[in-house]
Amino acid sequence: MREIKVLSEISGSVWKIVAAPGDALDEEQPVMILESMKMEIPVLAPERGVLKTLCVAEGASVAEGEVVAILEA
Amino acid sequence: MSLDEAQAELTRRRETALAMGGAAKLAARAAEGVLNARQRLDVLLDPDSFSETGLLAQGIRPEMRGRSAADGKIAGFGRIGGRPVAVVSNDFTVLGASSSAINGKKIQHVKRIAARSGMPVIYVGESAGARMPDRMGAAGRAMLGQDPTEYLRERTTPWVSAMLGPCYGSSTWYACLSDFVVMRKGAKMSVASGRVTSIAISQAVDAEELGGWKLHTDTTGLVDLAVDTDEEALAAVKRFLGYLPDHAGAAPPRCEVPEGSGADGDAIRAALPESRHQTYDVRRILRLVADAESLFELKGRFGRSLVTALARIDGRSVGLIASNPLFKGGAIDVDACRKATSFLVLCDSFNIPIIFMTDQPGFLIGMAGELRGAPGLIMNWMNALSLVTVPKLQVVMRKSYGQAYLNMGGGRNADATACWPMADLGFVDPVIGVSILHGLKREDDPERFDRLAEELGRDSSAWELAALYEAQDVIEPSETRDWLANMLEVHGRRLSGGVGTHRLAAWPTSF
Repeated sequence: MREIKVLSEISGSVWKIVAAPGDALDEEQPVMILESMKMEIPVLAPERGVLKTLCVAEGASVAEGEVVAILEA
Repeated sequence: MSLDEAQAELTRRRETALAMGGAAKLAARAAEGVLNARQRLDVLLDPDSFSETGLLAQGIRPEMRGRSAADGKIAGFGRIGGRPVAVVSNDFTVLGASSSAINGKKIQHVKRIAARSGMPVIYVGESAGARMPDRMGAAGRAMLGQDPTEYLRERTTPWVSAMLGPCYGSSTWYACLSDFVVMRKGAKMSVASGRVTSIAISQAVDAEELGGWKLHTDTTGLVDLAVDTDEEALAAVKRFLGYLPDHAGAAPPRCEVPEGSGADGDAIRAALPESRHQTYDVRRILRLVADAESLFELKGRFGRSLVTALARIDGRSVGLIASNPLFKGGAIDVDACRKATSFLVLCDSFNIPIIFMTDQPGFLIGMAGELRGAPGLIMNWMNALSLVTVPKLQVVMRKSYGQAYLNMGGGRNADATACWPMADLGFVDPVIGVSILHGLKREDDPERFDRLAEELGRDSSAWELAALYEAQDVIEPSETRDWLANMLEVHGRRLSGGVGTHRLAAWPTSF
Protein backbone atom coordinates (compact mmCIF):
# COMPACT_ATOMS: atom_id res chain seq x y z
CA MET A 1 0.00 0.00 0.00
CA ARG A 2 1.24 3.45 -0.95
CA GLU A 3 0.30 6.54 1.05
CA ILE A 4 -0.84 9.65 -0.78
CA LYS A 5 -0.85 12.93 1.08
CA VAL A 6 -3.74 15.27 0.43
CA LEU A 7 -2.50 18.85 0.72
CA SER A 8 -4.47 22.03 1.08
CA GLU A 9 -3.67 24.32 -1.84
CA ILE A 10 -4.65 27.42 0.09
CA SER A 11 -4.95 28.81 3.61
CA GLY A 12 -8.44 28.81 5.08
CA SER A 13 -10.68 27.09 7.58
CA VAL A 14 -12.29 23.67 7.24
CA TRP A 15 -15.98 24.30 6.60
CA LYS A 16 -17.24 20.83 5.86
CA ILE A 17 -15.70 17.37 5.60
CA VAL A 18 -17.44 15.48 2.81
CA ALA A 19 -15.62 12.11 2.80
CA ALA A 20 -15.15 9.53 5.55
CA PRO A 21 -12.30 7.12 6.26
CA GLY A 22 -12.79 4.02 4.12
CA ASP A 23 -14.36 5.94 1.22
CA ALA A 24 -12.96 5.17 -2.23
CA LEU A 25 -12.22 8.46 -3.98
CA ASP A 26 -11.54 9.23 -7.60
CA GLU A 27 -8.93 11.74 -8.71
CA GLU A 28 -10.31 15.26 -8.22
CA GLN A 29 -13.12 14.06 -5.93
CA PRO A 30 -13.57 16.38 -2.90
CA VAL A 31 -12.36 15.29 0.53
CA MET A 32 -13.41 18.46 2.35
CA ILE A 33 -14.47 22.02 1.65
CA LEU A 34 -12.52 24.98 2.95
CA GLU A 35 -13.78 28.48 3.51
CA SER A 36 -11.29 30.94 2.10
CA MET A 37 -11.55 34.30 0.32
CA LYS A 38 -15.31 34.21 1.05
CA MET A 39 -15.63 31.10 -1.10
CA GLU A 40 -16.26 27.42 -0.54
CA ILE A 41 -13.18 25.81 -2.04
CA PRO A 42 -12.88 22.03 -2.24
CA VAL A 43 -9.75 20.05 -1.35
CA LEU A 44 -9.57 17.34 -4.00
CA ALA A 45 -8.00 13.90 -3.99
CA PRO A 46 -4.73 14.22 -5.98
CA GLU A 47 -5.24 10.72 -7.37
CA ARG A 48 -7.54 7.73 -6.95
CA GLY A 49 -7.33 6.10 -3.50
CA VAL A 50 -9.09 5.09 -0.31
CA LEU A 51 -9.35 7.69 2.44
CA LYS A 52 -7.28 6.41 5.36
CA THR A 53 -6.92 9.33 7.75
CA LEU A 54 -8.44 12.77 8.19
CA CYS A 55 -5.80 15.02 9.74
CA VAL A 56 -8.04 17.99 10.53
CA ALA A 57 -11.51 18.56 11.96
CA GLU A 58 -14.28 20.91 10.86
CA GLY A 59 -13.54 24.44 12.04
CA ALA A 60 -9.76 23.99 12.02
CA SER A 61 -7.49 26.50 10.33
CA VAL A 62 -5.22 25.06 7.67
CA ALA A 63 -2.20 26.56 5.97
CA GLU A 64 -1.22 26.34 2.32
CA GLY A 65 0.60 23.05 1.76
CA GLU A 66 -0.65 21.45 4.99
CA VAL A 67 -1.46 17.74 4.95
CA VAL A 68 -5.21 17.52 5.62
CA ALA A 69 -5.82 13.85 4.83
CA ILE A 70 -4.03 10.68 3.78
CA LEU A 71 -5.20 8.27 1.10
CA GLU A 72 -4.01 4.76 0.36
CA ALA A 73 -3.58 3.41 -3.15
CA MET B 1 35.43 -1.04 -57.15
CA SER B 2 33.11 -2.04 -59.99
CA LEU B 3 29.68 -0.51 -60.38
CA ASP B 4 28.10 -3.73 -59.13
CA GLU B 5 30.38 -3.80 -56.13
CA ALA B 6 29.62 -0.15 -55.36
CA GLN B 7 25.91 -0.80 -55.58
CA ALA B 8 26.21 -3.85 -53.34
CA GLU B 9 28.20 -1.78 -50.87
CA LEU B 10 25.48 0.88 -50.82
CA THR B 11 22.87 -1.81 -50.15
CA ARG B 12 25.00 -3.29 -47.37
CA ARG B 13 25.58 0.09 -45.75
CA ARG B 14 21.90 0.97 -45.91
CA GLU B 15 20.94 -2.35 -44.37
CA THR B 16 23.50 -1.89 -41.60
CA ALA B 17 22.16 1.58 -40.82
CA LEU B 18 18.54 0.43 -40.85
CA ALA B 19 19.46 -2.40 -38.45
CA MET B 20 20.02 0.39 -35.90
CA GLY B 21 21.67 -0.83 -32.69
CA GLY B 22 21.21 -4.49 -33.56
CA ALA B 23 18.58 -7.19 -33.29
CA ALA B 24 19.16 -7.96 -29.60
CA LYS B 25 18.61 -4.38 -28.44
CA LEU B 26 15.57 -3.95 -30.68
CA ALA B 27 14.07 -7.21 -29.40
CA ALA B 28 14.58 -6.13 -25.78
CA ARG B 29 12.65 -2.92 -26.46
CA ALA B 30 9.88 -4.78 -28.25
CA ALA B 31 9.60 -7.12 -25.24
CA GLU B 32 9.08 -4.06 -23.03
CA GLY B 33 6.35 -2.80 -25.35
CA VAL B 34 8.35 0.30 -26.24
CA LEU B 35 8.58 1.43 -29.88
CA ASN B 36 11.98 1.98 -31.46
CA ALA B 37 13.01 5.22 -33.16
CA ARG B 38 11.96 4.12 -36.66
CA GLN B 39 8.67 2.62 -35.51
CA ARG B 40 7.90 5.94 -33.85
CA LEU B 41 8.34 7.69 -37.18
CA ASP B 42 5.99 5.15 -38.77
CA VAL B 43 3.34 6.02 -36.17
CA LEU B 44 3.95 9.75 -36.40
CA LEU B 45 4.16 10.38 -40.13
CA ASP B 46 1.84 9.77 -43.06
CA PRO B 47 2.62 6.41 -44.74
CA ASP B 48 5.66 6.49 -47.05
CA SER B 49 6.15 10.22 -46.47
CA PHE B 50 9.51 10.05 -44.65
CA SER B 51 12.56 11.20 -46.56
CA GLU B 52 15.65 10.65 -44.45
CA THR B 53 18.72 12.84 -44.34
CA GLY B 54 21.94 11.34 -43.01
CA LEU B 55 21.15 7.63 -42.97
CA LEU B 56 24.83 6.93 -43.61
CA ALA B 57 26.19 9.42 -41.09
CA GLN B 58 28.55 7.85 -38.54
CA GLY B 59 30.26 8.78 -35.29
CA ILE B 60 33.37 10.91 -35.79
CA ARG B 61 35.81 8.61 -33.96
CA PRO B 62 37.36 5.97 -36.24
CA GLU B 63 36.46 3.11 -33.89
CA MET B 64 32.78 4.10 -34.12
CA ARG B 65 32.58 3.56 -37.88
CA GLY B 66 30.21 0.72 -38.65
CA ARG B 67 28.68 0.68 -35.18
CA SER B 68 27.02 4.09 -35.01
CA ALA B 69 24.05 3.77 -37.38
CA ALA B 70 22.84 7.22 -38.47
CA ASP B 71 25.00 8.35 -35.54
CA GLY B 72 22.10 7.67 -33.20
CA LYS B 73 19.74 10.40 -34.34
CA ILE B 74 17.44 9.67 -37.27
CA ALA B 75 16.61 12.88 -39.10
CA GLY B 76 14.50 13.88 -42.04
CA PHE B 77 11.28 15.30 -43.39
CA GLY B 78 7.79 13.91 -43.77
CA ARG B 79 4.12 14.74 -43.64
CA ILE B 80 1.37 14.65 -41.02
CA GLY B 81 -2.14 14.85 -42.42
CA GLY B 82 -0.57 16.01 -45.68
CA ARG B 83 1.29 18.90 -44.02
CA PRO B 84 5.11 19.03 -44.05
CA VAL B 85 7.18 18.47 -40.89
CA ALA B 86 10.83 18.01 -39.99
CA VAL B 87 11.79 15.34 -37.45
CA VAL B 88 14.65 14.10 -35.32
CA SER B 89 14.00 10.70 -33.76
CA ASN B 90 16.56 9.66 -31.17
CA ASP B 91 17.70 6.05 -31.54
CA PHE B 92 18.61 4.95 -28.04
CA THR B 93 19.90 1.59 -29.32
CA VAL B 94 22.82 3.38 -30.99
CA LEU B 95 25.20 4.65 -28.30
CA GLY B 96 22.21 5.84 -26.29
CA ALA B 97 21.48 8.48 -28.97
CA SER B 98 24.21 10.46 -27.24
CA SER B 99 25.02 13.91 -28.60
CA SER B 100 28.01 14.01 -30.91
CA ALA B 101 29.64 16.27 -33.46
CA ILE B 102 28.04 14.51 -36.42
CA ASN B 103 24.49 14.04 -35.14
CA GLY B 104 24.66 17.65 -33.97
CA LYS B 105 25.20 18.61 -37.61
CA LYS B 106 22.13 16.60 -38.56
CA ILE B 107 19.93 18.41 -36.03
CA GLN B 108 21.32 21.75 -37.20
CA HIS B 109 20.51 20.90 -40.83
CA VAL B 110 16.94 19.84 -40.08
CA LYS B 111 16.26 22.94 -37.98
CA ARG B 112 17.71 25.25 -40.62
CA ILE B 113 15.70 23.74 -43.46
CA ALA B 114 12.53 23.69 -41.36
CA ALA B 115 12.91 27.40 -40.56
CA ARG B 116 13.71 28.29 -44.17
CA SER B 117 10.99 26.16 -45.73
CA GLY B 118 8.37 26.87 -43.06
CA MET B 119 7.56 23.62 -41.33
CA PRO B 120 7.35 22.47 -37.71
CA VAL B 121 10.20 20.52 -36.07
CA ILE B 122 9.37 17.45 -34.01
CA TYR B 123 11.93 16.06 -31.57
CA VAL B 124 11.25 12.47 -30.58
CA GLY B 125 13.33 12.36 -27.42
CA GLU B 126 15.22 9.54 -25.77
CA SER B 127 18.91 10.29 -25.28
CA ALA B 128 21.71 9.67 -22.81
CA GLY B 129 23.33 13.11 -22.99
CA ALA B 130 26.78 14.08 -24.19
CA ARG B 131 28.74 11.27 -25.84
CA MET B 132 31.81 10.36 -23.88
CA PRO B 133 34.69 10.29 -24.60
CA ASP B 134 33.95 12.47 -27.66
CA ARG B 135 33.07 15.40 -25.46
CA MET B 136 36.02 15.07 -23.08
CA GLY B 137 39.07 17.29 -23.13
CA ALA B 138 39.67 20.53 -24.99
CA ALA B 139 39.01 18.89 -28.36
CA GLY B 140 35.64 17.69 -27.06
CA ARG B 141 34.87 21.17 -25.76
CA ALA B 142 35.75 22.59 -29.16
CA MET B 143 33.43 20.15 -30.90
CA LEU B 144 30.58 21.03 -28.51
CA GLY B 145 30.50 24.64 -29.64
CA GLN B 146 30.28 24.44 -33.41
CA ASP B 147 26.88 26.13 -33.69
CA PRO B 148 26.40 29.33 -31.69
CA THR B 149 22.69 29.31 -32.58
CA GLU B 150 22.16 25.72 -31.43
CA TYR B 151 19.80 26.78 -28.67
CA LEU B 152 18.39 29.92 -30.26
CA ARG B 153 14.60 29.95 -30.32
CA GLU B 154 12.90 32.49 -32.56
CA ARG B 155 9.59 30.68 -33.07
CA THR B 156 9.75 30.86 -36.86
CA THR B 157 7.99 27.50 -36.95
CA PRO B 158 6.43 25.39 -34.18
CA TRP B 159 8.71 23.02 -32.22
CA VAL B 160 7.28 20.00 -30.47
CA SER B 161 8.93 17.40 -28.23
CA ALA B 162 7.85 13.91 -27.24
CA MET B 163 9.79 12.54 -24.28
CA LEU B 164 9.68 8.78 -24.68
CA GLY B 165 12.43 7.38 -22.49
CA PRO B 166 15.41 8.59 -20.52
CA CYS B 167 15.98 12.13 -21.79
CA TYR B 168 19.18 13.83 -20.79
CA GLY B 169 21.16 16.46 -22.63
CA SER B 170 19.89 17.19 -26.13
CA SER B 171 16.36 15.78 -25.72
CA THR B 172 15.84 17.80 -22.56
CA TRP B 173 17.27 20.99 -24.00
CA TYR B 174 15.06 20.82 -27.10
CA ALA B 175 12.01 20.01 -24.98
CA CYS B 176 12.64 23.13 -22.93
CA LEU B 177 12.78 25.17 -26.14
CA SER B 178 9.60 23.59 -27.56
CA ASP B 179 6.06 24.94 -27.79
CA PHE B 180 4.57 21.65 -26.67
CA VAL B 181 6.05 18.79 -24.65
CA VAL B 182 4.37 15.45 -24.11
CA MET B 183 5.91 12.79 -21.88
CA ARG B 184 5.26 9.08 -21.68
CA LYS B 185 4.91 8.08 -18.04
CA GLY B 186 8.15 6.35 -17.10
CA ALA B 187 10.26 8.67 -19.26
CA LYS B 188 12.71 10.97 -17.48
CA MET B 189 13.83 14.48 -18.18
CA SER B 190 16.60 16.15 -16.20
CA VAL B 191 19.90 17.93 -16.62
CA ALA B 192 21.80 14.71 -15.90
CA SER B 193 20.67 11.12 -15.26
CA GLY B 194 19.97 9.79 -11.79
CA ARG B 195 23.18 7.78 -11.98
CA VAL B 196 25.37 10.72 -13.02
CA THR B 197 23.68 12.97 -10.47
CA SER B 198 24.16 10.42 -7.66
CA ILE B 199 27.87 10.12 -8.45
CA ALA B 200 28.33 13.88 -8.79
CA ILE B 201 26.68 14.90 -5.54
CA SER B 202 27.42 11.69 -3.56
CA GLN B 203 23.77 11.21 -2.70
CA ALA B 204 21.25 8.56 -3.61
CA VAL B 205 18.87 10.07 -6.16
CA ASP B 206 15.63 8.56 -7.38
CA ALA B 207 15.42 9.05 -11.16
CA GLU B 208 11.62 9.35 -11.10
CA GLU B 209 11.74 12.05 -8.42
CA LEU B 210 14.56 13.78 -10.29
CA GLY B 211 12.80 13.94 -13.62
CA GLY B 212 9.57 11.95 -13.80
CA TRP B 213 6.24 13.00 -15.23
CA LYS B 214 4.73 14.11 -11.92
CA LEU B 215 7.59 16.52 -11.25
CA HIS B 216 7.27 18.06 -14.68
CA THR B 217 3.49 18.18 -15.02
CA ASP B 218 2.73 19.25 -11.42
CA THR B 219 5.71 21.26 -10.22
CA THR B 220 8.01 22.54 -12.97
CA GLY B 221 5.40 22.95 -15.72
CA LEU B 222 8.03 21.99 -18.29
CA VAL B 223 5.81 19.19 -19.61
CA ASP B 224 2.36 19.97 -21.01
CA LEU B 225 0.86 16.51 -20.95
CA ALA B 226 1.71 13.02 -19.63
CA VAL B 227 0.34 9.90 -21.30
CA ASP B 228 0.72 6.14 -20.88
CA THR B 229 2.11 4.98 -24.24
CA ASP B 230 4.35 6.05 -27.12
CA GLU B 231 1.35 5.91 -29.44
CA GLU B 232 -0.67 8.29 -27.25
CA ALA B 233 2.28 10.68 -27.07
CA LEU B 234 2.69 10.77 -30.84
CA ALA B 235 -1.08 11.22 -31.28
CA ALA B 236 -0.85 14.22 -28.94
CA VAL B 237 1.94 15.71 -31.08
CA LYS B 238 -0.26 15.42 -34.16
CA ARG B 239 -3.24 16.85 -32.35
CA PHE B 240 -1.28 19.86 -31.07
CA LEU B 241 0.10 20.65 -34.53
CA GLY B 242 -3.43 20.47 -35.93
CA TYR B 243 -4.28 23.79 -34.20
CA LEU B 244 -1.17 25.56 -35.48
CA PRO B 245 -0.07 26.89 -38.86
CA ASP B 246 3.03 25.37 -40.50
CA HIS B 247 4.95 28.55 -39.68
CA ALA B 248 4.57 31.97 -38.10
CA GLY B 249 3.85 33.61 -41.44
CA ALA B 250 0.51 31.86 -41.92
CA ALA B 251 -2.84 31.78 -40.15
CA PRO B 252 -3.85 28.47 -38.53
CA PRO B 253 -5.88 26.12 -40.74
CA ARG B 254 -9.65 26.52 -40.49
CA CYS B 255 -11.47 23.23 -39.96
CA GLU B 256 -14.93 21.86 -40.58
CA VAL B 257 -17.24 22.49 -37.64
CA PRO B 258 -18.17 19.09 -36.16
CA GLU B 259 -21.84 18.24 -35.97
CA GLY B 260 -23.40 19.01 -32.61
CA SER B 261 -21.04 21.92 -31.82
CA GLY B 262 -22.78 24.50 -29.67
CA ALA B 263 -25.92 22.40 -29.39
CA ASP B 264 -25.93 22.51 -25.57
CA GLY B 265 -25.49 26.23 -24.95
CA ASP B 266 -28.24 26.17 -22.35
CA ALA B 267 -26.23 23.63 -20.35
CA ILE B 268 -23.69 26.37 -19.50
CA ARG B 269 -26.21 27.90 -17.12
CA ALA B 270 -26.74 24.51 -15.49
CA ALA B 271 -22.99 24.04 -14.98
CA LEU B 272 -22.86 27.15 -12.81
CA PRO B 273 -23.66 26.93 -9.08
CA GLU B 274 -26.47 29.13 -7.81
CA SER B 275 -24.34 30.76 -5.11
CA ARG B 276 -21.41 32.98 -6.03
CA HIS B 277 -19.58 31.48 -3.05
CA GLN B 278 -19.52 28.03 -4.63
CA THR B 279 -17.05 26.72 -7.16
CA TYR B 280 -17.33 24.76 -10.39
CA ASP B 281 -15.06 23.19 -12.99
CA VAL B 282 -14.72 25.66 -15.86
CA ARG B 283 -13.63 22.90 -18.25
CA ARG B 284 -17.26 21.78 -18.45
CA ILE B 285 -18.19 25.24 -19.68
CA LEU B 286 -15.30 25.44 -22.14
CA ARG B 287 -16.38 22.15 -23.72
CA LEU B 288 -19.85 23.59 -24.27
CA VAL B 289 -18.50 26.80 -25.81
CA ALA B 290 -15.90 25.22 -28.12
CA ASP B 291 -16.48 23.10 -31.21
CA ALA B 292 -17.35 19.51 -30.27
CA GLU B 293 -14.31 17.50 -29.06
CA SER B 294 -11.94 20.38 -29.82
CA LEU B 295 -10.80 21.31 -26.30
CA PHE B 296 -7.12 20.39 -25.82
CA GLU B 297 -5.82 21.41 -22.41
CA LEU B 298 -2.13 22.21 -21.93
CA LYS B 299 -0.39 22.02 -18.54
CA GLY B 300 -3.59 20.68 -16.97
CA ARG B 301 -1.88 19.70 -13.69
CA PHE B 302 0.14 22.91 -13.29
CA GLY B 303 -1.14 26.28 -12.06
CA ARG B 304 -4.62 24.81 -12.12
CA SER B 305 -6.56 27.91 -11.06
CA LEU B 306 -6.19 28.87 -14.73
CA VAL B 307 -6.95 26.57 -17.63
CA THR B 308 -4.93 27.09 -20.80
CA ALA B 309 -6.30 25.17 -23.75
CA LEU B 310 -6.28 25.17 -27.51
CA ALA B 311 -9.70 24.72 -29.04
CA ARG B 312 -11.76 25.68 -32.08
CA ILE B 313 -14.74 27.95 -32.35
CA ASP B 314 -16.58 27.87 -35.63
CA GLY B 315 -13.65 25.93 -37.06
CA ARG B 316 -11.08 28.57 -36.07
CA SER B 317 -8.17 27.80 -33.73
CA VAL B 318 -8.34 29.76 -30.47
CA GLY B 319 -6.31 29.86 -27.26
CA LEU B 320 -8.45 29.84 -24.12
CA ILE B 321 -7.21 31.25 -20.81
CA ALA B 322 -9.95 30.52 -18.32
CA SER B 323 -10.25 30.91 -14.55
CA ASN B 324 -11.00 27.61 -12.87
CA PRO B 325 -12.68 28.28 -9.52
CA LEU B 326 -12.46 24.54 -8.73
CA PHE B 327 -8.82 25.14 -7.77
CA LYS B 328 -7.93 27.82 -5.21
CA GLY B 329 -11.27 29.45 -5.96
CA GLY B 330 -9.76 30.72 -9.20
CA ALA B 331 -7.17 32.85 -7.35
CA ILE B 332 -4.17 33.16 -9.63
CA ASP B 333 -0.92 31.83 -8.17
CA VAL B 334 2.67 32.05 -9.36
CA ASP B 335 2.48 28.87 -11.43
CA ALA B 336 -0.70 30.08 -13.13
CA CYS B 337 1.07 33.38 -13.97
CA ARG B 338 3.92 31.54 -15.67
CA LYS B 339 1.48 29.29 -17.49
CA ALA B 340 -0.63 32.19 -18.75
CA THR B 341 2.40 34.12 -19.99
CA SER B 342 3.91 31.19 -21.86
CA PHE B 343 0.51 30.49 -23.43
CA LEU B 344 0.25 34.11 -24.62
CA VAL B 345 3.65 33.67 -26.26
CA LEU B 346 2.54 30.47 -27.99
CA CYS B 347 -0.70 31.93 -29.31
CA ASP B 348 0.78 35.24 -30.43
CA SER B 349 3.73 33.57 -32.14
CA PHE B 350 1.46 31.37 -34.24
CA ASN B 351 -1.43 33.71 -34.97
CA ILE B 352 -3.98 32.09 -32.66
CA PRO B 353 -6.61 34.49 -31.24
CA ILE B 354 -6.77 34.55 -27.44
CA ILE B 355 -9.95 34.29 -25.40
CA PHE B 356 -10.08 35.06 -21.68
CA MET B 357 -12.91 33.51 -19.65
CA THR B 358 -12.79 35.21 -16.31
CA ASP B 359 -14.01 34.29 -12.82
CA GLN B 360 -11.22 35.14 -10.42
CA PRO B 361 -11.00 36.76 -6.97
CA GLY B 362 -7.56 38.23 -7.69
CA PHE B 363 -4.00 37.05 -7.44
CA LEU B 364 -3.37 34.62 -4.61
CA ILE B 365 -1.66 36.73 -1.99
CA GLY B 366 0.52 35.36 0.79
CA MET B 367 4.07 34.39 1.63
CA ALA B 368 4.29 31.47 -0.81
CA GLY B 369 3.81 33.73 -3.81
CA GLU B 370 5.95 36.60 -2.55
CA LEU B 371 8.85 34.22 -1.90
CA ARG B 372 8.72 33.25 -5.55
CA GLY B 373 8.59 36.78 -6.90
CA ALA B 374 4.87 37.02 -7.67
CA PRO B 375 4.92 40.76 -8.51
CA GLY B 376 7.56 40.22 -11.19
CA LEU B 377 5.57 37.42 -12.79
CA ILE B 378 2.36 39.48 -12.74
CA MET B 379 4.12 42.28 -14.62
CA ASN B 380 5.84 39.81 -16.94
CA TRP B 381 2.34 38.70 -17.94
CA MET B 382 1.15 42.29 -18.43
CA ASN B 383 4.20 43.09 -20.52
CA ALA B 384 3.59 40.05 -22.70
CA LEU B 385 -0.11 40.88 -23.00
CA SER B 386 0.70 44.41 -24.10
CA LEU B 387 2.92 43.04 -26.88
CA VAL B 388 0.31 40.59 -28.22
CA THR B 389 -0.99 41.46 -31.69
CA VAL B 390 -3.45 38.61 -32.31
CA PRO B 391 -7.15 39.26 -31.53
CA LYS B 392 -7.93 39.19 -27.80
CA LEU B 393 -11.45 38.66 -26.50
CA GLN B 394 -12.78 38.51 -22.96
CA VAL B 395 -15.87 37.06 -21.35
CA VAL B 396 -16.37 37.96 -17.69
CA MET B 397 -18.33 35.00 -16.36
CA ARG B 398 -18.63 35.91 -12.69
CA LYS B 399 -16.12 37.95 -10.76
CA SER B 400 -13.01 39.76 -11.92
CA TYR B 401 -11.21 41.55 -9.13
CA GLY B 402 -8.03 43.46 -8.52
CA GLN B 403 -5.00 43.88 -10.76
CA ALA B 404 -5.84 40.49 -12.27
CA TYR B 405 -8.80 42.20 -13.99
CA LEU B 406 -6.25 43.77 -16.33
CA ASN B 407 -4.18 40.60 -16.73
CA MET B 408 -7.32 38.75 -17.81
CA GLY B 409 -8.08 41.22 -20.58
CA GLY B 410 -9.93 43.98 -18.70
CA GLY B 411 -9.25 47.69 -19.11
CA ARG B 412 -9.04 47.59 -22.90
CA ASN B 413 -6.50 44.78 -22.81
CA ALA B 414 -8.97 42.86 -24.98
CA ASP B 415 -10.38 43.95 -28.34
CA ALA B 416 -13.87 43.22 -27.07
CA THR B 417 -15.36 42.34 -23.70
CA ALA B 418 -18.71 40.78 -22.88
CA CYS B 419 -20.05 40.17 -19.40
CA TRP B 420 -22.50 37.56 -18.26
CA PRO B 421 -25.36 39.24 -16.35
CA MET B 422 -24.07 38.07 -12.95
CA ALA B 423 -20.57 39.48 -13.57
CA ASP B 424 -19.07 41.31 -10.61
CA LEU B 425 -16.31 43.83 -11.15
CA GLY B 426 -14.49 45.39 -8.27
CA PHE B 427 -11.18 45.61 -6.53
CA VAL B 428 -11.90 43.00 -3.84
CA ASP B 429 -14.94 41.09 -2.66
CA PRO B 430 -17.16 43.78 -1.00
CA VAL B 431 -17.28 41.79 2.24
CA ILE B 432 -13.48 41.82 2.46
CA GLY B 433 -13.47 45.45 1.29
CA VAL B 434 -15.55 46.58 4.29
CA SER B 435 -12.99 45.15 6.69
CA ILE B 436 -10.08 46.75 4.81
CA LEU B 437 -11.74 50.14 4.30
CA HIS B 438 -13.62 50.54 7.60
CA GLY B 439 -11.73 48.17 9.90
CA LEU B 440 -15.08 46.56 10.71
CA LYS B 441 -15.84 42.88 11.31
CA ARG B 442 -19.36 41.60 10.68
CA GLU B 443 -19.77 40.32 14.25
CA ASP B 444 -19.06 43.84 15.59
CA ASP B 445 -22.08 45.44 13.92
CA PRO B 446 -23.88 43.17 11.42
CA GLU B 447 -26.36 45.82 10.30
CA ARG B 448 -23.74 48.46 9.51
CA PHE B 449 -21.43 45.87 8.01
CA ASP B 450 -24.10 44.60 5.57
CA ARG B 451 -25.06 48.16 4.61
CA LEU B 452 -21.43 49.11 3.89
CA ALA B 453 -20.89 45.88 1.93
CA GLU B 454 -23.95 46.61 -0.17
CA GLU B 455 -22.71 50.14 -0.85
CA LEU B 456 -19.28 48.88 -1.87
CA GLY B 457 -20.80 46.27 -4.16
CA ARG B 458 -23.39 48.56 -5.73
CA ASP B 459 -21.39 49.84 -8.68
CA SER B 460 -19.68 46.60 -9.55
CA SER B 461 -22.29 45.09 -11.85
CA ALA B 462 -22.10 44.10 -15.51
CA TRP B 463 -24.60 46.90 -16.21
CA GLU B 464 -22.19 49.51 -14.87
CA LEU B 465 -19.31 48.18 -16.97
CA ALA B 466 -21.53 48.16 -20.05
CA ALA B 467 -22.79 51.68 -19.29
CA LEU B 468 -19.18 52.87 -19.19
CA TYR B 469 -18.59 51.02 -22.50
CA GLU B 470 -15.78 49.04 -20.89
CA ALA B 471 -17.88 45.97 -21.69
CA GLN B 472 -19.18 46.10 -25.24
CA ASP B 473 -22.05 43.78 -24.44
CA VAL B 474 -23.80 41.82 -21.72
CA ILE B 475 -24.76 38.37 -22.93
CA GLU B 476 -26.53 35.26 -21.70
CA PRO B 477 -24.13 32.39 -20.98
CA SER B 478 -25.86 30.46 -23.76
CA GLU B 479 -24.96 33.23 -26.23
CA THR B 480 -21.22 32.97 -25.50
CA ARG B 481 -20.25 30.76 -28.41
CA ASP B 482 -22.10 32.86 -30.96
CA TRP B 483 -20.69 36.10 -29.53
CA LEU B 484 -17.14 34.72 -29.69
CA ALA B 485 -17.60 33.40 -33.24
CA ASN B 486 -18.91 36.79 -34.30
CA MET B 487 -16.08 38.69 -32.59
CA LEU B 488 -13.46 36.38 -34.13
CA GLU B 489 -14.88 37.37 -37.49
CA VAL B 490 -15.00 41.09 -36.64
CA HIS B 491 -11.49 41.24 -35.15
CA GLY B 492 -9.75 38.90 -37.62
CA ARG B 493 -6.57 40.57 -38.86
CA ARG B 494 -7.55 40.54 -42.53
CA LEU B 495 -5.07 43.17 -43.72
CA SER B 496 -2.22 40.81 -42.82
CA GLY B 497 -4.01 37.58 -43.67
CA GLY B 498 -4.48 36.78 -39.98
CA VAL B 499 -0.75 37.09 -39.23
CA GLY B 500 0.49 39.14 -36.27
CA THR B 501 3.81 40.94 -35.81
CA HIS B 502 5.25 38.44 -33.29
CA ARG B 503 6.88 40.77 -30.85
CA LEU B 504 7.02 37.87 -28.37
CA ALA B 505 8.88 35.57 -30.76
CA ALA B 506 12.14 35.74 -28.81
CA TRP B 507 10.50 35.68 -25.37
CA PRO B 508 12.26 33.23 -23.02
CA THR B 509 10.98 29.68 -23.25
CA SER B 510 11.24 29.24 -19.50
CA PHE B 511 11.17 31.89 -16.78
